[in-house]
Amino acid sequence: MTGYLSAYFSILVFIGIGIVVGLVPILAGHLIGKKKPNPIKDSAYECGFPAFENARLPFDVRFYLVAILFILFDLETAFLFPWAVTLRTTKIAGLVAMAIFVGVLVLGFIYEWRKGALEWE
Amino acid sequence: MTNLETQIIALIWTVVKIVCIVLPLMICVAYLTYAERKVIGYMQLRIGPNRVGWFGLLQPIADAVKLLHKEIIQPTLSNHYLFAVAPILSIAPALAAWAVIPFMPNVVLADINAGVLYLFAMSSIGVYGILIAGWASNSKYPMFSAMRSAAQTISYEIAMGFAFVGVLLAAGSMNLQTIVLAQQGGIWHWYALPLFPLFIVYWISGVAETNRAPFDVAEGESEIVAGFHVEYSGMPFGIFFLAEYANMILISTITSLLFLGGWLSPFEHIPLLGKLTSFIPGIVWLLAKIAFLLFVYLWMRATFPRFRYDQIMRLGWKFLIPVALVWLCLVAVAVVVKFPPWFN
Amino acid sequence: MLNAFPTTLVVFYAFAALLIASAFMVILSRHPVQSALYLVLAFFASAALWIMMQAEFLGLILILVYVGAVMTLFLFVVMTIPMHTIPIDKTRLLYIGYGSLVLVLFLGVMAKIIHPLNHIVFQLNNFQAPGISGATAIGESLYTTYVFPFEIAGFLLLVAIIAAISLSWKTDRRKIINDVSAQVNVKAKDRLKIVKMKAEKPQQDSTEPVQHD
Repeated sequence: MTGYLSAYFSILVFIGIGIVVGLVPILAGHLIGKKKPNPIKDSAYECGFPAFENARLPFDVRFYLVAILFILFDLETAFLFPWAVTLRTTKIAGLVAMAIFVGVLVLGFIYEWRKGALEWE
Repeated sequence: MTNLETQIIALIWTVVKIVCIVLPLMICVAYLTYAERKVIGYMQLRIGPNRVGWFGLLQPIADAVKLLHKEIIQPTLSNHYLFAVAPILSIAPALAAWAVIPFMPNVVLADINAGVLYLFAMSSIGVYGILIAGWASNSKYPMFSAMRSAAQTISYEIAMGFAFVGVLLAAGSMNLQTIVLAQQGGIWHWYALPLFPLFIVYWISGVAETNRAPFDVAEGESEIVAGFHVEYSGMPFGIFFLAEYANMILISTITSLLFLGGWLSPFEHIPLLGKLTSFIPGIVWLLAKIAFLLFVYLWMRATFPRFRYDQIMRLGWKFLIPVALVWLCLVAVAVVVKFPPWFN
Repeated sequence: MLNAFPTTLVVFYAFAALLIASAFMVILSRHPVQSALYLVLAFFASAALWIMMQAEFLGLILILVYVGAVMTLFLFVVMTIPMHTIPIDKTRLLYIGYGSLVLVLFLGVMAKIIHPLNHIVFQLNNFQAPGISGATAIGESLYTTYVFPFEIAGFLLLVAIIAAISLSWKTDRRKIINDVSAQVNVKAKDRLKIVKMKAEKPQQDSTEPVQHD
C-alpha cells in the first residue's frame, strides 16, 4: 500500500472506531440500566400533555430556501478551494477568473438580500 | 508486496495510534464538562461541583456512571432504528475528524493533502445526527430543534468555508502541517494577524456550528425544553453530550492550527525569551492554545445572553458572509502582488 | 510466510457492494426518509471509491456538496411531509417502463466507454500515489484553460439563486420582521419620556379619607 492509500485506510479505521465509541456505551447502558417501560413514560414529551397532533409538521418555506441557497454557496466554496491553493501559479489570470465568478455570485447575493430572503421574523 | 504479518502489525499500530488520540480526547471531554461547571460557577459567584472527590474532581466519572445506570427510554411512536442510530451518527464524524489533525511536526495519523477539505466535509456531516435524532423522535420539540439547528448550522458553514479559503490562499496548501509551518517566523506571522477578520468569522461560525451559547437555540431550554435530544435518556443522551464537547475541542484545535500557529511557540524569534523557552515541546503550546480557546467558549456561555433566531440568521448571512468575502478579495490581491511581510 | 492480504481490493469491493446495495435500497425502501438516508450512504460509498482511485479532491467534494448540502435539503423536505409509506399501485408499472429505457441507454453509454478499443485500462491492484494533488491539478487547469466553462458555471449558479428565490419567496408576506439594528440602537429617550411635575397635594377641605375598594 502506498502512503496515500494507507493514510485514507487509517481514516477508515478511525471512522470505524468512532462508531465503536458510540456503540459500546449505548450497549453497556442497555445492559446495566434498568428497564421498566410504561405507556406514559414512552409517549412523546409534550410538557405533560398528551400529544395532540402529528409531529411531522410542514415548516416555513424559509427553511427550504436557506437549504437551497446553502447548496449554491457550498458549490461556490467548492470552486474556491482549488483556486485558493493554486493562486500562486495561476497568478493574475486566476484572480481575474475568480473575480468574475464571485462577482456574478455577489449579484445573486445582493438580489437575495434586496428581496428580503435573508429576513427572519 | 508486503506479507500478512506486516499488514497485521501495521493495522494494530494504526489502532494503537487512534486509541492514543481518542482516549486522551475522551478524558479531555470529561474534564471539559467539569471545567465548564467550575468556570461558569466561579463567574457566577458559585463554587461549582465540589462533593465527589477532591474539589469535585471525580464528578465527571460519577456522571458517566450515573448515565450508565439510567433507563434507556425508547418512545413508542419513534422510528426505532433511526432513533438508535442518531447518536452514533453524531459522534463518529466528531471523532473521525481528528484523523488529520497534526499535533507536532510529523505527528499525525493521516497526513493527507486535502486535510482542510476533509475537516470541512466532516463538519458538514455533523448535521445528520441532529436531523435524524429530531425526526426519529416523532415529537414536536425535537423536530423544531432539529430544523432550527440544521438551518443554523448550514448558514454558518458558508462563512466557515470562506474563512477556510482565506487560510488556503495565505498558505497555498490544504495540508494542515504545511499550513502550520507556513506560519513560522514569529508570532506576527500567525494568520490570526493578517487574516484577523477571517479568524473572528471562523471562531463565531465554529461556536454556532457546535450549537453552543450564545447560539444554542437548538437547545433553548426555556422554549423547546432541551432540543433535539428531549426524548433521549441515559447513555444515548450521553453520546450526544460527548459529541458536542468533542466538537468544541475540535473547533478549538482547528482554530489553533489555522490561525494561531498550531504547535509553534509564541516566543519564536523574540531575542531572549525565544531561547529561554525553546526547550518546551510544541505540543505544550498547542494544548495551551486549545485550552485558552475552550476557556473562551465557556466565557462566552457565561457572559452572553442567547441570540434570538432571526438575529442568528442575520449575523450569519448579513454580517459574517460579506465580511469574509471582502477579506477574501483583499487576501487574494495581496497574494498575487506578494504583499510583504506575510505573502511574499 | 503468509500471503499478503489484499486490503485494497477487499476495501474496494466492500464499498462497491455497499454502493450497489444502498442504491437498491433507495428504490426498494418504501419510506421516503429511509430512502434519502440510503442515498446518503450511496454517496458516501462512491466518495470512498473515488478516493481509492486517487480522486481525493473530488471524493471529498462529493461528501461536502452532496452529503453535506444536497441531501440535507432532501431530508428537510421528506422529513416534514406526513409519514406514510407509498403503496404499490398500477401506475408504478409505468415507471418500470421508463426506468428500463433509461437503463438500456445508460448501459449502452457504459459499454461504449469501457469498450477495449477505447484503451481505458482498469487496474484495481495498481493504485499509485498521485504525483500531484488533485486540487492543484484542477486549480491549474480550471482557472486558465477552462475558464469559460467555469464562468458559465458561475452564471448557472446565479440563475439558480434567482430562480430559487423567485419561485419560493413571496414578498407580500406578513410583515413582522424585526429590524435588529434599530432595536439595538434604540435610546432610552426614544421610548421613555420623563416629565417634570409638581407632586399632587391632597386638597385641604376634603376631610373624608379616600376610600379604597
